Amino acid sequence: MNAATTQLQTGKAIDIVKRAGKRPTESFVPQKLHASIRAACLSVRTPDGEADMTAWAVTDAVIVWLETRPEVTSDDLRRVASRHLNVYHPEAAYFYEQHRTII
Amino acid sequence: MTLISSLAIIAFAALIHASFQLSVSVLTLMSGHAIGKRTAHSRLLRLVTGFTVGVGVMTMLLVTFTAYLAANVFGVHLPMVLWALVCGVLVGVGISVWRFYYRPGRGTTLWVPRTVALHLNERSKATKRSAEAFGLGLSTVTGEILFVAAPIIVSALVLIQLSPMWQLVGILLYTIISLSPLLIVSALIGSGHKLSHIQRWRETNKHFLQFAAGSGLLVLGAYVYVEQVITVTVTAAGGR
Repeated sequence: MNAATTQLQTGKAIDIVKRAGKRPTESFVPQKLHASIRAACLSVRTPDGEADMTAWAVTDAVIVWLETRPEVTSDDLRRVASRHLNVYHPEAAYFYEQHRTII
Repeated sequence: MTLISSLAIIAFAALIHASFQLSVSVLTLMSGHAIGKRTAHSRLLRLVTGFTVGVGVMTMLLVTFTAYLAANVFGVHLPMVLWALVCGVLVGVGISVWRFYYRPGRGTTLWVPRTVALHLNERSKATKRSAEAFGLGLSTVTGEILFVAAPIIVSALVLIQLSPMWQLVGILLYTIISLSPLLIVSALIGSGHKLSHIQRWRETNKHFLQFAAGSGLLVLGAYVYVEQVITVTVTAAGGR
């Protein structure tokens, strides 16, 4: 786990408002974001190691963005994660963005 | 109605059914979750096959059930008013598909009830066995019933006028043609193509598919109206 992740875990808790308040608010869990980005990378047939590294890089970038915010929506989180993922892996970023709009 | 004309109507209706996208969407999502969880390729293939078979079985059951129902209620000689009604439904659904099939915005979000979409979304994530994938395939077809009902009804009405052997051929023809996009996507997934490429193609061409499906329904409605209503009326008037 990287420095930024550890720092956030020891610091304040950030609330994630899910589906515009239709589902209960959850605390931000970096591992969960990492897992979803890793899954998006794997879905576009990225090798395991590269998917893991990319997911941590994006998670760290999102944590930096979260530092100044006490509460964000899950849509905001997805948008920012997708923007950062686009830098490292545009194909995975596209699939990550599309996830909620496939059906 | 001649045999060739009947089979042509069934094939065209199946082609319209094939252009509806819910089953391809669910297959893409289910495969995405499975690949994202590092599922073994052989298990992924079993899931994809289970899903495709589920969609095929439900399509076949719906066509067969509709034909059975129509044969029992109306018999082999269908009233002209029923044909006129079915043509009206085809035109109505065609215009609805033009107008509503995809929700506005990015992606390929369909105009299916959100509760159904959410259920399919969550089931596609939870599917781990081929039996579950088969069940997901069954429920996916029912999720799109508002749109696929029109081609299924017209095919069923045409089917009941054929001999039993040709009825079986017609049902198989309808099922295979309506499954063709799923079979193509399954082959692409099985051969290692990226899901992002498949989804990008679908997103880029969604308006064309929407236009093709809507236009197909209008053309089919017009053709059936001419053949079953106008031609029969003119022939009957000429024979007096």
